Amino acid sequence: MDSYASFRESDPDTSLESGRKKRRKIEAESQSSEYGRTDVKWRSESAQRIYSVKLVEALQRASQSAAPATSRSTGGRTVRDLANRVLAMAARGRTRWSRAILASRLRLRRLRKVRKPSGSCSRPRKPLPAPSEDRKRRLPAVEKRVKVLSRLVPGCKGIPVTNLLEEAGDYIAALEMQVRAMTALTELLSGSHSDRLGSSTPSPA
Amino acid sequence: MKMVLPDTIHCVNSPEMTVLERQRTSLLKWQQDQGAALFQQQTQSFYGVGGGVSSCFSPGSESFMGLGEVVNQCNMIDPASGIEYWGQQGKVEVPAIGFGGGVAPSGYEVSCGSISGTASCPTTVVMAASGAQAMAAALAEEKIGAPVGKERFNKRKLERAHSTKGCEDDARDKKIKGCSDELESKITEQSNNNSNGNKKDARNGNDNNKETSVSSSKDNSKASEVQKPDYIHVRARRGQATDSHSLAERVRREKISERMKFLQDLVPGCHKITGKAGMLDEIINYVQSLQRQVEFLSMKLAAVNPRLDFDIDSLFQKEVNQMIPTCTSSFPTMDMSPELTNPAYLHFDPMQQVVSCSTLDMGIINPDMGIRRTSGPVPVPDPFIDSSCFPQIQPGPTWDTDFQNLYNMEFQQGRATATTTYQSHQQYNMGPMEATNMKMEI
Repeated sequence: MDSYASFRESDPDTSLESGRKKRRKIEAESQSSEYGRTDVKWRSESAQRIYSVKLVEALQRASQSAAPATSRSTGGRTVRDLANRVLAMAARGRTRWSRAILASRLRLRRLRKVRKPSGSCSRPRKPLPAPSEDRKRRLPAVEKRVKVLSRLVPGCKGIPVTNLLEEAGDYIAALEMQVRAMTALTELLSGSHSDRLGSSTPSPA
Repeated sequence: MKMVLPDTIHCVNSPEMTVLERQRTSLLKWQQDQGAALFQQQTQSFYGVGGGVSSCFSPGSESFMGLGEVVNQCNMIDPASGIEYWGQQGKVEVPAIGFGGGVAPSGYEVSCGSISGTASCPTTVVMAASGAQAMAAALAEEKIGAPVGKERFNKRKLERAHSTKGCEDDARDKKIKGCSDELESKITEQSNNNSNGNKKDARNGNDNNKETSVSSSKDNSKASEVQKPDYIHVRARRGQATDSHSLAERVRREKISERMKFLQDLVPGCHKITGKAGMLDEIINYVQSLQRQVEFLSMKLAAVNPRLDFDIDSLFQKEVNQMIPTCTSSFPTMDMSPELTNPAYLHFDPMQQVVSCSTLDMGIINPDMGIRRTSGPVPVPDPFIDSSCFPQIQPGPTWDTDFQNLYNMEFQQGRATATTTYQSHQQYNMGPMEATNMKMEI
């Protein structure tokens, strides 16, 4: 969009501006053409493989590093956070939500260390300004939903709608992959566990 | 005659006619104020290009974008001359930029195609010329020229905006190509018409002219659409700041709609849903459901987790037993130590956890190993892992032949997947941002 405004200031140099427009068009085309790639990235088998491997590793490390039989290492929330972190790692830091997930842990740790004596750290939220003459603008259902969506996708609070939609797309694809991988993993583990319990003799190698 | 001018107006919505009329009157006044000689000269020179209406446009067509920008620029330059009408409608004035008629059509195209796409563009563009004749000429030319540029313009990025307008522009375009002589006569008549204020008749006349020229024009997909007496909706409303803004806004809207379409494909069951609000609702619901699923699965995993270590071993055993009858290639690693055998089975893991077995084993043995250690489809000795990742990649002399066999086997099984897995693991080791540094020679 900056390029559109740029021609306003430029001198009437048609070649330059036409070149700019051509470049803009090429960029737009390239962007649109490569837009769907994020989805493919998350749907590939290798991505799921990588993720599940990393997840298992992380789970093992977590279960071993923490004192055994403590709920902390194997708590549901811990596992979920762990899974999200591994997912964010799988995103290679190219998306906003993945960076936010990875960064939030550092922030939480720091906050926990600092605020442990202080207590809860919930900021008092600013009360919304009373709907005045801006009522018409607040009503648009789209804006409300955009806000809700920005709260759902981590790290997407104040970004423009186009970026938010892009992040949401990538986040959805990543979540789908996460669900698939974790389902398979739980199935495998629970299946093996039941098998192990059921079978008395180990199979010969 | 009243042909040219009415034609340009005819394609406009009836509510716009008043605007056009207003424009015309303002133009007339403006023209009278300005020096007519200059523009007349320009217009004459324009004609003198030798049927150069089309030729004028040819250079313009190539750089019509730039011209359009220039035209837009000109629009800004002369705010005083009632350009607000034109700006609103995305029309651009064609002051004495030096392009003369060439600019007008391109500017018209640009404005019509990209910004507002109103059919009344030609009128506004023409208005730049001072004097009734100049204006009439410009009007005619713009009308004619616009379609030329518009065609080409439409092929560009902003083509989406106004196919209907494009048709009309094309019609005008053909008119230009066909009858430059007519222009002059029309222009004079236009001026007369303007003075008379008998615009409606002129429009009708123009329309007839346009249609005839359209029928005789060359191939143009949009030509057929010209026939219908369509009234174009003004995209750029009055009061919209500038063309650049509306352009940018349009681009933004296009981006948003494109992303929404992508999301529509992603979220299941929302093909019928139209509208952003409904789609966003579905997206929100879907994201929430996915997050809930992840939470539920993580709780389930946590319940199973205490037995993770044992299960992994048993998993390996089980899979080995499962895979042995199915695997076709022989495993020289069967006699190797458990750590080495595991990689052999990695590839046949039903979950395709190529790395998991070896890495997990190593994880069990060396619980203090970081995630760095656990990369690679084949377990590499620790010192090599620690030193750098690159030695890991290359099947160097440090690897046993068995490792190499394993490696080859994995390649045979699924070269691409192994590669990607390997690469990704390596990249994980190096950090998410250092992927470019990794050169996998797999």
